[in-house]
Amino acid sequence: MMFKKILIANRGEIAIRIMRACKELGIQTVAVYSEADKNSLHVSFADESVLLGAPAPKESYLNIDKIIDAAKKTNADAIHPGYGFLSENASFAAEAASAKLTFIGPSADSIRAMGDKAESKTSMKKAGVPTVPGFEGLESKEDFEKAAREIGYPVLIKAAAGGGGKGMRVVESEADLTEAVEGARREALNAFGDDRLLIEKYLADAHHIEFQVFGDRQGNLVHLFERECSVQRRHQKIIEETPSPLLTPKLRTQMGEAAVKAAKTVNYYNAGTVEFVFDPQLSTFYFLEMNTRLQVEHPVTELVVGLDLVQWQIRVAAGERFPFTQKDFSQRGHAIECRVYAEDPASGFLPSTGKLLQYIEPRGPGLRVDSGFAAGSEVTHFYDPLLAKLIVHAEDRSSAIQRMQSALRDFIAHGVTTNIDFMQDVLAHDDFQNGDVSTRWVETKFNWQPAEPSVEALIAAALAETAGSSLKSNAPGLDEPDRFSPWKNQNGFRN
Amino acid sequence: MKLTFDNTSMDLTPSGKSYRAKIGDDVFDVEIIRADAERGQLDLLIEGKHVIAYVSSDGAKRWVTVNGRTCLLTKSSRAISYSKSKRGGAGHDHASELAAPMPGQIRAVNVGAGDAVKKGQTLLVLEAMKMEIRIQAPRDGIVSSISVKVGQTVEREQILIEVVERLES
Repeated sequence: MMFKKILIANRGEIAIRIMRACKELGIQTVAVYSEADKNSLHVSFADESVLLGAPAPKESYLNIDKIIDAAKKTNADAIHPGYGFLSENASFAAEAASAKLTFIGPSADSIRAMGDKAESKTSMKKAGVPTVPGFEGLESKEDFEKAAREIGYPVLIKAAAGGGGKGMRVVESEADLTEAVEGARREALNAFGDDRLLIEKYLADAHHIEFQVFGDRQGNLVHLFERECSVQRRHQKIIEETPSPLLTPKLRTQMGEAAVKAAKTVNYYNAGTVEFVFDPQLSTFYFLEMNTRLQVEHPVTELVVGLDLVQWQIRVAAGERFPFTQKDFSQRGHAIECRVYAEDPASGFLPSTGKLLQYIEPRGPGLRVDSGFAAGSEVTHFYDPLLAKLIVHAEDRSSAIQRMQSALRDFIAHGVTTNIDFMQDVLAHDDFQNGDVSTRWVETKFNWQPAEPSVEALIAAALAETAGSSLKSNAPGLDEPDRFSPWKNQNGFRN
Repeated sequence: MKLTFDNTSMDLTPSGKSYRAKIGDDVFDVEIIRADAERGQLDLLIEGKHVIAYVSSDGAKRWVTVNGRTCLLTKSSRAISYSKSKRGGAGHDHASELAAPMPGQIRAVNVGAGDAVKKGQTLLVLEAMKMEIRIQAPRDGIVSSISVKVGQTVEREQILIEVVERLES
C-alpha cells in the first residue's frame, strides 16, 4: 500500500529532490532539521518539519533516536534517508523497521554486507567479481608496511566502514605511510565510529565507472547503465556523466552483468550503485564498493534512461513490483552533472562559508538544477558545502558539454567562493573533451589557477559604486541624499 | 573620482551620458545601458562591447561576475592602509603565526612548544566539515607557542600556533 507520509532524514538539495517525488506521488512530507538549518529551503518545502537539535550532525542528522521519534510523532509511515548521514547505517534501517516504519532503501542485511569495505571485498572475491589486489584486517604499523611493500607503492589506505573519501589516503612512499594510517584512522573513527582500515593497490591512472542497479522486493534486479565519475578532488566526485566515453558495448554488458551479480550476492533491492575501478590501458575493471543508497549523481541516469529513480525507490519500498526488465532499458543522448560547491579550488578545495549575497541559477532547455540554497542562505561549516547540482541532457556528448558550459557561465553565486570557474576550465580542457581524465587528473595534471580580475570586472565594480543618473534601476528617487549608490538599499543586493 | 580595487587604481569621470575609466595609460569609454538592483546586474557598453556584470558588496569586498567569471575584489580607501596589520609588522618578520583557515575542531597536536620543526611538517590537524586539514610548518624553525589543545573548537582566523626562525648562533 502506498505511503501517506514520508519523513526525509536529510537536508539540502537531496531532501528537496525527494520531497518533489513525494509531492508528485501525492504523499505528505516531513522535514527534519538542525538549529543551523531552521531557515533552510528544505524546511519550508516540506508539509511539516521537526527540529532535531544542535547543528553538530551527532545531535541532529545522525541522531537515530531523535529521527525515529520525529517520524512517530508526525505519524509518518516511511523514512527516506537520502545520501550521506544515516543512509548506509544498518542500525538505522533496522531500528526504523522495528518502529514499524518502512526504510526506503535496501534491507539492513544488505547494507551491513556491503557497508564493510573489507567484508564486501571478501564476498565479491567469492562470488567471482574481480577486486583490486590488497589486504584486509591489518592492525600494526609493521603489518601495513609489509603489505604496502608486497602490493607496491602507491597504495591506498581506506576505512573499512568508509565512504565519501573520508578516512582515505593515497600513499606514495613508506616515509608517509605511518602518518597516513594514523590520519585515516582518526578520520574514520570520527566519521564512522570504526577505525578499521584496509590497504590496496592504488591504480594511478584509473577511471571511476559505476553502475546503477535497481531491484524490487520480488527479486527483479536490473542495471541502468554506467556513470563515468573520474573528475574528482579529495577523492570526491565533482563532474559525472553518462554514457562513459570509454566503454564499448561489450564492456558495458560485462560490467553491467558483474554489477547485477554483485548486488544479487547480497539479495539487494531498491536503488544501489556498484562502483568499479577501470584501467583504460588494459580495459580491465575491478569491484571497488557498493553504495547501498541513492547516489548524488543519480540525475544523469534519470535523464538518459528516462526513469524517475526516487519515485521508483518509494514505489518498490511500498511493495510495488518493478514492471521493467533489462531489455526495456537503453541509453538516450548524453547527460552531465556538475556539482557546484562552496569551496576554493585555488587553496586545496577548502570549503568556503558565509552568506549568499547573490544567487541566480541558470535556466534553459535540457537543464535541471537540484539545489538547496537561495539568495540570503547561509553556508555553514557544519555540513558538506554542496550548493547545487547542474544537470544537462543533450543529443550527444559535445552538445552536452556546450550546454553545461553555458549553464555554468550563467550561474551567479556571490558571498562564498565556488568551484564554478574551475569546472568551466575542466570542461574546456582537451583532456576532458577527449574523455581522458583519470581520478588523479585534477591533482596531478590540471594545475589550475584562477584568472586575474579582468578590466571589465574592475570597471563594473567601479560603476556599481558610482552608478548615477543614467541608471534605470527601480531604486528610490535619484535625488535622495545617497545619490551615488541608489540601489544599495535594495533587498538582495547588499548584505 | 578615484577608486582602488586590490592594487589597481582607476579614475572614473562622467562624460555626458557615459563615463571614462582610466586605468594606468588605458582609457575606456563606458556606458550603463541598464541596472537591475534586485539581481545586482549591470548591463554595460565598454568600448562599444556589451558586457553583463553582476556585482555584490560586503563591507569592502566586491564580488564581481563578468562573462561567467567571478572574482573577489577588495576596495581600498585612503582611510584604511593597505598593509595586513595582523600578520606581524616590523620586528616580527621572523615569526609565523598560523591561523585556522576555517572554523573547526583541533584533532591532533603533533608538536610541543620549543620543538624544532621542518618546513612542511604537520604541526596540527584541524577537522572542519568532516575533513582533516593539516596545518603545516611554513618554514624550518622552532615552535614558540601553541594556543590550542586537542578537542578545542576554533574560529576562522584564530591563531593556533607560532613558529619562529631558529636563531643562528
